Amino acid sequence: MVSAKVIVKNPSGLHARPASVLAQAAGKCKSETILLYGEKRIQLKSILNIMSAAIKAGSEVEIQCSGDSEEEDLKTLVELVESGLGE
Amino acid sequence: MEVVKVEKTASRGIAVAPVYLYQEPDLTPDSYAITREQAEEEQKKFADARSAVAEELEKLAGENEIFAAHLEMANDFMLQDGVNNRIAIDQKNAQIAVKETVEEFAEMFAAMEDDYMRERGADIRDIGKRLLACLKGKRLPDLGSLDAPVIVAARDLYPSDTVKLNPEFVKGIVTEEGGVTSHVSIIAKSMNIPTLVGIGGILEKLTDGETVCMDAGQGILVLAPDAATLSEYQQKKEVYESERRRLKELRNTPAVTKEGKRIFLCANVGNVEDIKKALEMNIDGVGLFRSEFLYMENSHFPTEEEQFAVYKEAAELCPKELTIRTLDIGGDKELPYFTFEKEDNPFLGWRAIRISLDMKEMFKEQLRAILRASSYGHVRIMFPMLISLEELRDAKEIVEECKKELTAEGKDFDENIELGMMMETPASVILADAFAKEADFFSIGTNDLTQYLLAVDRGNKKIADRYSYFHPAVLSAIKHIIEAGHRAGIKVGMCGEMAGDSKAVLKLLEFGLDEFSMSAGNIDYVREQILNA
Repeated sequence: MVSAKVIVKNPSGLHARPASVLAQAAGKCKSETILLYGEKRIQLKSILNIMSAAIKAGSEVEIQCSGDSEEEDLKTLVELVESGLGE
Repeated sequence: MEVVKVEKTASRGIAVAPVYLYQEPDLTPDSYAITREQAEEEQKKFADARSAVAEELEKLAGENEIFAAHLEMANDFMLQDGVNNRIAIDQKNAQIAVKETVEEFAEMFAAMEDDYMRERGADIRDIGKRLLACLKGKRLPDLGSLDAPVIVAARDLYPSDTVKLNPEFVKGIVTEEGGVTSHVSIIAKSMNIPTLVGIGGILEKLTDGETVCMDAGQGILVLAPDAATLSEYQQKKEVYESERRRLKELRNTPAVTKEGKRIFLCANVGNVEDIKKALEMNIDGVGLFRSEFLYMENSHFPTEEEQFAVYKEAAELCPKELTIRTLDIGGDKELPYFTFEKEDNPFLGWRAIRISLDMKEMFKEQLRAILRASSYGHVRIMFPMLISLEELRDAKEIVEECKKELTAEGKDFDENIELGMMMETPASVILADAFAKEADFFSIGTNDLTQYLLAVDRGNKKIADRYSYFHPAVLSAIKHIIEAGHRAGIKVGMCGEMAGDSKAVLKLLEFGLDEFSMSAGNIDYVREQILNA
């Protein structure tokens, strides 16, 4: 398992549009992808799970990947969140 | 065959087409029980419905990225697991499983702090609706998916519905609710779709896919028409449409009577959007800009800057003139942020110029905004409801005061801006000659003038037949106003309903009216009358 911390930059947090971008990207990962936000453990492959966590702008979150291609998947997801998820 | 008479015409025109019932189908899940052995079958039903919905959403997402998140939700494994577990473990049928899973997520969103997230509950419910419709074999109404001519029948249409209206396929609209000034009416008028509104109980009488005929101008809807009626309406429709085309071609002809008098054709508007639409009719300008809408559709008295931005844009759009009527509230028009004392006779009460003169600072904000806009076009100021020369002089003096202030501040305005008045009170008619010497123009407001001259409340249905601007007293007053104006060498226009009534055009031309200002929909008809006069 590999993990990294990243700050959510999206001005309105992870609302529908960025959540959909993130869930889509996670869906393509071969490894299991989890996001830790406070107490919450979120399945990144589920947009409903991401949205229901109501992650606010400026929050620090931890992304964990485990399984095949975990290094590569983690890098992709961290970069995506840092780039603002298409916003 | 059944003929339905309808009172409320929102937009004229003839249509013959099958009915498209724009009505939510009943999506209550069927309650059938399933056995353990049937679980797989139910899961398969759900899987098929889900693929169909995903395909549908994929198409929508291609056109509008708002649906990208919908699509992702429909593909979500947590949603799928939720449904499949309910089927396999709880032995619920697919419809109930979908309904429960979707509600669970929707409630989770509803419980969130963030307003935005709370509203997302609607997105997941939308997906639930699509899934259920698919499982139940029902069609969800969608105006955007039309591909053949129809007459849309609905309880009411909201902005989210009307954005999808495509006039290529929507040939007519009938609604159970709504008045002629409701959203659907305004949109239908601007798109020229024949529309009848406020027809109580009509949805029950209509069958999806059954052809009906409508003549919206006459307020007639024919259900289950026989062959003769069908061909009669087809013919009527062709005549009407060729008439529309002919009128449209006339738009390029300036409104000059046979005797050679050039008449100004103007629009009555409430905002800049109205002006843009009216410009398609080739108008000379705006004869009545109802500034009260700026006040009514606001949370506070609009500031000078807010008003200036609107008036400036309007002034730049108008080719020959923009006549702004100063605030005309009171009577039946109220403000959400200002309490008017209850009056026994609001139409004879504290309204229009009476309020402006009493609330001088507010009046000045408006006048300064109009003055500043006057350097961007030909702007005219019009005062409503005057009954005495003193009022006119007071109003003009306040304009002078504003001009001085603007000069001192180095702000531009039209030095020679025309200051005119509405002619709508009996007192102004009787004093027309005196007023004409001090006002720069007149504009006859026939709606109030008729009501005040005849002492007939124009909103009272019981006496509606007594309200008529063809009453000899009203005609005589109009003639007198026009003559008084001309004796003093000023232009006389009209901005009441009568100006847009093609039956009145000849009479008004005979009296010598210089300008007709009306709602945009009537301009083509009045132009034709003028050209033939």
